[in-house]
Amino acid sequence: MQPVLKINLTSGEWERLDIRKDWAEGYLGGSALAARMLYEHISPDIDPLSPSSSLLFLPGPLTGSAGPAVGRFVVCGRSPATYLWSESNCGGFWGPELRKAGFDGLWVTGKANVPVYLWIHDGQVAIREAGQVWGLDTYAIQEALQNELVDKRIRVLGIGPGGEAQLPMAVILCDHGRVAGRSGLGAVMGSKNLKAVAVQGNGKIPLKHPETFARLRTQANRDLHDDNFTQALRSLGNAGGADYFDYLGEMPKKYFQVGIFEGSWKVSGSSVAEGILAGVSACHGCVIACGRVVKLQDGVKRKGPEYETLVGFGPNLLIDDPVAITRFGEQCDRYGIDTISTSNTIGLAFTLFEQGFITEKDTDGLALKWGDVEVVETLLNQLIKKEGFGARLAQGALPFSRQYGAEELALQVNGLELPYHDPRGSSGMALSYATSPRGGCHNQSDYFLVDIGQVESSLGLKLMSRQAGAEKAANVIRHQDWRTLCNALVLCYFANISPQMVVELINAAVGLDWDVEAMLQAGERAWNLKRVINNKIGLRSQNDTLPGPLLQPLPDGGAAGYTIPLADMLQAYYASRGWDAQTGFPTPEKLATLGLEWTIPDIWGK
Amino acid sequence: MEGRFPDEVWLQNFCQKLNSDGQYARIAQKWEGDLSFVIEAGGPIQSTIVLYMDLWHGACREARVVQEDEKKPAFVLSASYEVYEKVLSGELDPMQALLTRKLKVQGNYAYLMRNVPVILDFVRCAREVPQPE
Repeated sequence: MQPVLKINLTSGEWERLDIRKDWAEGYLGGSALAARMLYEHISPDIDPLSPSSSLLFLPGPLTGSAGPAVGRFVVCGRSPATYLWSESNCGGFWGPELRKAGFDGLWVTGKANVPVYLWIHDGQVAIREAGQVWGLDTYAIQEALQNELVDKRIRVLGIGPGGEAQLPMAVILCDHGRVAGRSGLGAVMGSKNLKAVAVQGNGKIPLKHPETFARLRTQANRDLHDDNFTQALRSLGNAGGADYFDYLGEMPKKYFQVGIFEGSWKVSGSSVAEGILAGVSACHGCVIACGRVVKLQDGVKRKGPEYETLVGFGPNLLIDDPVAITRFGEQCDRYGIDTISTSNTIGLAFTLFEQGFITEKDTDGLALKWGDVEVVETLLNQLIKKEGFGARLAQGALPFSRQYGAEELALQVNGLELPYHDPRGSSGMALSYATSPRGGCHNQSDYFLVDIGQVESSLGLKLMSRQAGAEKAANVIRHQDWRTLCNALVLCYFANISPQMVVELINAAVGLDWDVEAMLQAGERAWNLKRVINNKIGLRSQNDTLPGPLLQPLPDGGAAGYTIPLADMLQAYYASRGWDAQTGFPTPEKLATLGLEWTIPDIWGK
Repeated sequence: MEGRFPDEVWLQNFCQKLNSDGQYARIAQKWEGDLSFVIEAGGPIQSTIVLYMDLWHGACREARVVQEDEKKPAFVLSASYEVYEKVLSGELDPMQALLTRKLKVQGNYAYLMRNVPVILDFVRCAREVPQPE
């Protein structure tokens, strides 16, 4: 493994940090290795927006290898939105470029006196003033630094004004709109006065057995290219399943309050493909190309919306106009805020207005009518400028709801706004949301795909009803462990390749001799380590829950009448995980089994 | 023994089932598209078998065993005999087969994803076609 670049922005000093061999082999990379590296650096007394907080950018051992959909990296730290463990992974080309520049990670601490950006190239590091580019949006900053450094090959990740303003929904964006979107790590970057990181390198991606890896990679990419799931993603983007999710009642509408919206079909991946689609885009070395390129009436080709943005600004707000949704998505991207958290918070505002918690007095005379595109546009502009009512929205759903005594109506888990997969249509998502280490999130286990049939028997998964209860707990756990491993590699969830192929790629890249079970145990180890980090911060079993409205049945649609048996599911979950139901802590026995006995005193005492 | 998947008699029985099933007629009332099932050579199948079906507005207009490349249908599904057998017996969920690399589909994915319920009901009908022991 190449060294990690560790840089202190307060002092301006940097070093090459070698990663212990047992860490590199036990945690591999990505968010799993990040959890181990940051374990001693995330604690209740370190505020995520303080100079002493850490922000860690880590690729994985497969990143940049041109393996199947492995161009990703992950950003980790403590979230200013949830105050818990935070990880957010991102595609594009930045991660591979960092590795080619000679570093397998970037660890940022401290705070610069003035706005700065980092320039990392072929093992060299420079901290440069960024006052001249402070205020630029997330696309403009890329162009500005490529011009300043006179090289269009340079890859830049950066924050927009949202990150500079340290909003809890601020993102980090690179390349063609690839986003580390969730849990506010863009705000952490902003708090350090770090506007951007530019990278460029000409080195080789280190592989333990390059010839074996090359053979496997070729086979994996060929299989992936021809796969049904890949073809659907390439044709329709990741909103390809929207029509089916709508039918099943798994796609939320009207802030998760109803199961039927007549206009849903207009905002599916199929409709975008048949309407405004002008092309596709891909991350580094990826044969899937799920990215959408759309052309609107102005003739400009731009990033098209993916599923979460389509539903969040679409059926979630009873809007059926893909052009308006595309513009909302672009506005969020450019400003540097998360489309899920933003659209969720706006949906909450509509709900509170309808239910009388807020009136036109609160909204400066604006009537929050469902489906009104102009109202959403106004709210988004206010939120971005932190003006009037928008300044309240900019705090995120939970703080916003508290201002009106409506905390229970905020659809979030542990402070992170829920994405757009209704657990009443896919009950596995109930556990996925409730137990996720970073709050309400679908990227620790996209179990909704298992619930519609992506049941990998080699992972030990069993086919179950999409509305099964406690019996599903063990399945969810296996899937979480698998996805935690993917987040270590960092392997895109859309890469529908066999787990056996994944383990062979790992073995060839790192020089291990694992089987699928050993691979899953690495995922389980990392999942439990993140749990301990959160337990140290204060997370308890009471935090493993869902907001009240989701524990009520939907009135109509494909999931109508189903009530999630969450208490029973959680009980089964704790038992299968080896977690203590009272505290929510992993038991000492479980921690010891996973080689995490050294964490036991931190939560159980000496 | 005649009447077992994938012979001609079984195919005609399946076609009749689709044409007599009220639920399928309702769910598939907007479906327009023919398809071929390619059963790849291997196991008990000596050489590739292709079953062709012309499906239109909830009815089966034509069904017959065809030569490879004889038809250019809107959708082509390909898998081994074993996979088809498991789907027909209920041992393998059709969506699981599609999403775990067991059954390959070629065709218009926008149309397919809008019509997943039709496909699932089509499989239900196939499973209900009686086969001799």
